[in-house]
Amino acid sequence: MAKPKVAFYWCASCGGCEEAIVDLAEGVLKVVEAVDIVFWPVALDIKRKDVEAMPDGSIAVTFINGAIRTSEQEEMVHMLRKKSGLVVAFGSCSHIGGIPALANLTDKASIFKKAYSTTVTTVNPEMTYPQESFKVKEGTLTLPKFYDHVYALDEVIDVDYYLPGCTVPTDLILNAVTAILEGKLPPKGTVLSPNKSLCETCPRNDSKPEKLKITKIYRPWEIMIDPEKCFLEQGLICIGPATRTGCNERCISANMPCRGCMGPTDQVTDQGAKFLSAFASLLDVTDEKEIQKIMEQVADPAGTFYRFSLSHSILKGKVK
Amino acid sequence: MANNGFSPKIVGFLCRWCSYQGADLAGTSRIKYPPNLVPIKVMCSGRVDPSFVMKAFEMGADAVCVFG
Ligand code: SF4
Ligand code: SF4
Repeated sequence: MAKPKVAFYWCASCGGCEEAIVDLAEGVLKVVEAVDIVFWPVALDIKRKDVEAMPDGSIAVTFINGAIRTSEQEEMVHMLRKKSGLVVAFGSCSHIGGIPALANLTDKASIFKKAYSTTVTTVNPEMTYPQESFKVKEGTLTLPKFYDHVYALDEVIDVDYYLPGCTVPTDLILNAVTAILEGKLPPKGTVLSPNKSLCETCPRNDSKPEKLKITKIYRPWEIMIDPEKCFLEQGLICIGPATRTGCNERCISANMPCRGCMGPTDQVTDQGAKFLSAFASLLDVTDEKEIQKIMEQVADPAGTFYRFSLSHSILKGKVK
Repeated sequence: MANNGFSPKIVGFLCRWCSYQGADLAGTSRIKYPPNLVPIKVMCSGRVDPSFVMKAFEMGADAVCVFG
């Protein structure tokens, strides 16, 4: 029997999700043995035209990481959708927008200005900015269009499953691949990680007092962090209450609070608002001015509460 | 409402035990009030999640009130 065809693609991402495949270590051999990888730009020299030539629906499953922010990414994912039976959004950026989606708090013009002109290390007296097309004597050079907004994958194409995390934990990848190979898939649209909050599985949960009382907020570098106590109890912002579990509490074990990369559980639409709701109830003050004083200690609230989930939020970002 | 034709859509989250009863009382006492407010009964104003407020704005509310 022919092996099922599998593809990997990257959009607006950092490369960490490619690393996750490499991190499968010897597990990757099992995957390679069972499937035929037909497209994987980071590792194989297969071009766009080769994928274009594949019959529609011929790829069993395509894993797409990264958010969508350029016209090229949009075209590629539309094409891969057509060529694939299943599409899995791989990693936070593809799942809910991820770090690139923080760009939605600003706009394209400001990003270009910063990147190509005002950063201290940039020297650009002629104000050369990337153009979508530029004539040179050999012909016309083109670049993809850079959008004003960063999208999660399911805002652009139909997505069958989601593998959350920055990056996706290896056991979740192997479970997903096994489920696909054995045809034991959950209903379409499932996030392939347990639908429980991180606090439920966190080893520090037992140390949490009955009622948390926050009077001051710290950033991780401001205090010596107790390696046993719940971060919230220590006044550190930990997004665990509003985050899905499945990451093996990897930041917690490294003595760092959770930033929320696994996204929310199924019951929650807006991870940031949910966290805000949980967090506000922990403040040990009732006077409005005092509440404001504590909340002002949160550096970059939108970026903290929505660090990974801005594309999928109700907040969305800057009104443009 | 004589407000340059602008008539705001207001979503109100009303606590079942106080403000919603107040609204009911206004009704049974035949007190008139403008129809701009869409009341939503909640079991406690503490039940109101920030995402409810955001959702209301997303769906076109001009103002959101939480009564409790
Ligand atoms: S808030 Fe963070 S440290 Fe505390 S129990 Fe939840 S995940 Fe663990
Ligand atoms: S602890 Fe939080 S930020 Fe860290 S990997 Fe898990 S979900 Fe992501």
